[in-house]
Formats: sequence, structure tokens, C-alpha cells
Amino acid sequence: MNVGRLEISHLRVRYSAPDGQGLIAIENVDLSLRASEFAAIIGPSGCGKSTLLNVVAGLLLPDSGAVRLDERDVVGRPGGVAYMMQRDLLLPWRSVLDNVVLGPELAGVPQLQSRRTARALLKRFGLEGFENVYPAALSGGMRQRAALLRTILCERPLILLDEPFGALDALTRAAMSEWLLGIQREFRRTMILITHDPDEAIYLSDRVYVATPRPMQIAGIVDVRLPRDRHRDVTLTPEFAAHKREVLAYLQQERDPADWSNNRRRAGRYDE
Amino acid sequence: MSISSETQSRSRYGVRAREVAAPALLMFLCLAVWDVAVRLLDVPAFVLPAPTAILATMVQDRALIFSQLQITMFEIVTGYFLAIIVGFCVSVAIVYSAAFRRGVLPLIVAAQTIPVIAIAPILVIWFGYNYVPRVIITALVAFFPLAISFVTGLRALEAEWINFFRSLNATPLQIFFKLRFPAALPNIFAGLKVATTLAVVGATISEWVGASAGLGYLMAQDSAQINTTRVFASLVVLGSCGMAFFAIISMIEWLTMPWAFGRLNRSQWRRRNREQASDANLSSTATEHRLGRAAEAEPRDRVTATLTRTVSGNNGRIK
Repeated sequence: MNVGRLEISHLRVRYSAPDGQGLIAIENVDLSLRASEFAAIIGPSGCGKSTLLNVVAGLLLPDSGAVRLDERDVVGRPGGVAYMMQRDLLLPWRSVLDNVVLGPELAGVPQLQSRRTARALLKRFGLEGFENVYPAALSGGMRQRAALLRTILCERPLILLDEPFGALDALTRAAMSEWLLGIQREFRRTMILITHDPDEAIYLSDRVYVATPRPMQIAGIVDVRLPRDRHRDVTLTPEFAAHKREVLAYLQQERDPADWSNNRRRAGRYDE
Repeated sequence: MSISSETQSRSRYGVRAREVAAPALLMFLCLAVWDVAVRLLDVPAFVLPAPTAILATMVQDRALIFSQLQITMFEIVTGYFLAIIVGFCVSVAIVYSAAFRRGVLPLIVAAQTIPVIAIAPILVIWFGYNYVPRVIITALVAFFPLAISFVTGLRALEAEWINFFRSLNATPLQIFFKLRFPAALPNIFAGLKVATTLAVVGATISEWVGASAGLGYLMAQDSAQINTTRVFASLVVLGSCGMAFFAIISMIEWLTMPWAFGRLNRSQWRRRNREQASDANLSSTATEHRLGRAAEAEPRDRVTATLTRTVSGNNGRIK
């Protein structure tokens, strides 16, 4: 399956403000993803990462720059990607099963077929036996898994994950990221994950983009050279530690604006 | 959760009985004091009739009261539904059009400050001496809380939800029927419940102004003739109908929104009854058990199963 290639070039997003000046949220961001690659974007809170995902999802128009998914322009065209937002956004009036088939339902796919697919996947997502329960009866982890199952069932080549486990406790979070890795390898979708956690970013992804505070720029790119089939123990290896040191160094540098230009050049060179 | 459904429902009946018994007893006590006081102090019936006398009049004049009640009920129900239809259309327009919101919402609020009883004679002049002005007055009284609650409900959604639906390429119609409307239901039902009582008030007022029949008309006639006992009898009947109306709407609410009352839907009930025997419940123990079995069935996928089990185990602890 060679779909889900994402190419973002020279993206710039500015929010207009009453004073006419405007606030630059994203400044000259380049990003590229191969099919079924997993990329993480890590950066401080409020740096414009969610804005970036909104642009990729076609919900927000950038001031300049291009976003191409499989050579197709997706700027201002929603529906091309599956977007899992920070909150699980499960409809409280729908049972779990009715919630997870929302994507195909909105697209007009026959209910019988999508429901069968959903039922078959419930076990893999730890929701077996809960298909007829309302979301209010689920725990935080289960809600996130239901939201992810809904995202997967949208059948889009690219999945955007905006801090999906941000609201979970550390233990659940670790288990969830382990499980997410399995899901990504199994379903072979391209995924972009936004996170604050360097361990989570390195453990899950093939490539980590470190973002600067507002306006968002790419401070550095870390290619994760760990085997794709990872076990949790990989986080204890020297290679993992080296990657983490690299990511943390970029995050540190963000605090010193003098260094930004260097890193930006490095990011540009990478893309060439 | 481990209590069997039988015990649970029996204890729930016990609680229900106690909840009902106390206020009923209090009410009965008040009526008894009222009755005895009226008789002992020899209060004339045109000032304050005894409850037993009111009851006697209700039974004696039941044919008259019932025939008048039918007319009033027609006005109440028709006016109520008219208010719902108009209120819904207006609130949808308010939600979707900023111009309409700015132009019409202040007018609605301003119109609300005009006493309906003042414009009732004008409506009679316009529409004639029939049920039309009465239905319109009823609808006018019930309209305001309906419109306000509909607008509040339909606008209650956070932008996140709309963005999420838009990211799935949902059409505006899908966003309305699959998102906005169900999300507005709690507010909508709050408005519908408030409007039931106001519709009763509206219909009664309308009959004072321009009518030759109906419970409100009967009450106006009886007050003029100082037949206080029958005025009270009509009031009791009207009040009971208002309560029944409110109860019906509450019942519809309860049936429409099972998720908001922590109720299970039908298939959940069936499942729960099936699992009762093994003391299983809807918490994570059941899943863990099931996932454990799944792991045995597929030893090849052992690692995955363990992971999944770990995940749901954590959830069990959170719950």
C-alpha cells in the first residue's frame, strides 16, 4: 500500500488580530512523510502543532505554502485524512459501536458492512463486550481506544493524532503507546503524532520533528534508527538514550532564539 | 453491581414508595387541617370552600367540567405544538444566521415584555370569536422559553465538535441531524417542560378574554357568580391536567435520552440479564476474562493479547 505520502512545504499560517498585525502561528515549515511512516512532532504547549494538524486536515487555510497528500492538494479540502483530536469526542448519545462507525456512516457506506468490520476489530481494541455501552460508562483508556478505532475505520491513508493520550495517567499511557505501535504496524497507515513526551515520540516513531515555540518552526529532525518491531525494553538501550539526548538538545536550544536559524538551515538541508 | 437485578429493583421500589409516601401524607394532612378549620370556623363557602365540598362539586358537575376541559385541552395542545413548530424554525434561523439573530432576537425579547392579555382583544378582532386567537395566545405564552432553550441547546456545541465532523467531510445537514440536534436535546426538553405549564396558563387566560366555552371561561363565569367551590373544582382539574402534561413530556424525555439517565438500551438489558447468572457485570472484569480466553485460543498472538490485557487491567483500576 503506497498511499499516505504527505508533503508539506513552506507552510505559513497567521491568525489575524484586531490590531491588523496578526499572530504568526507557523513560519516556513517543511515536513515530508513516506507511506506508512510514523512521525512525531514534539514541542512546547501552544506552539502551533494543533494549528498544523488543522491545516493538514483541511480545516484551516494557510497564508502560504502547500500541503500535498499523495500528490493531491488538500489545502482547504477536509475529508482526506482521519483526525483524532485531543478529546475523544465520542458522541454521548451513541453506543460504542454506533460511535466507531461514524466515519463510514457520514461517507454513506452501507451500515451492515462497516458494522461487521467494526465488530471484527472490537477485540483488537479491547472493547469486546462493550459495543452497546454508552461512552459515559467507559474508562479514559477505553474511550481513547474507541476514538482510535473510529479513526482507523474512517479508512483514510493518513491519520493525525493530536496528543491522544494526553489526559491519561502514566501507566495507562505507557500501555496505550505500546498498543498503538502494534496498531500502526498492523494497519500500515501513515501517522502523525503530536506529543509533549520525548520517550513516547521516540518509542513510537520513525522520525521525530522538534518544533520551536510560536511561531512554530522545525528546530530539528531526529531519524529514529531503532528496529521497527520494538519492544518496550528498547527504551532502556543506549541507542534510545542517544536519540533522547538529541531530541532534548533541540528542545533546549529552542529557548535560545539565536540558534534557530542554524537548525532551520539544517532542516532545510534535510529536505533537499 | 453484583446485586442481582431482582433485589435491586425491589429495593428501588422500597425507596420509591418512601419517596412518594412522605409528601402524600403531608398533603393529606394539610387538606385535613384545611377541611376541619373551614368547618370549625364556619368560613362561608364563597370565601373558602372545604376540600370535601370541592370534591363533591367535582363529582356532581363532572359532565360539565369534562366537556369544558376538552375544549381547553384542545387549545393547550394545539397552542403548545404551534409554539414548538414556530419556536424550532425561528431558533434554527437564529443559530444559522447572524443577521437574523441580531435582528429578530431583540424583537422576541421585546415582545415578551408585552402582557399577552393586552394583545388578546386585538387578536380576537383579527381572527374572530373562535378558537384561533385562543390557540395563538396559548402559543405566544409558551413560545419564549421554547425559543430560548432551543437556541441555547443548538448553540451549546464547542467548535471542536464541528471541526471534528468537518474533518470527516460531513455535510451541513449531517452536522445538524447527527450532531447539533442530539446535543441540544437536554436543553430542548428543559424548554418543553417549562412550556407545558405555561401553555395551561395561556389557554386559561385566552378564555377569559374571548370565549364562550372552556374551563377558563367556566372559571370566569363562576367567579362572577361567586360560585367559589366550582372555581376551585375547575382549578384542581386544570392543575391535574398540567401535572399530567408535564409528566408525559418528562416520560418522553426519559425514553428519548437513555444515555442521559444512566439507562441501558434494550440490547444492553438483554446482555446484562444473560450475564447475571455468572455474576458478571459491565465493568472490566468481564472483558479481562474474555480477553484471557482469547489469549489461550490464539497462542501465536500471545504478546498482543498480554498487552491488551495490561491495558484493560489499568482501566479496571481507574474505574
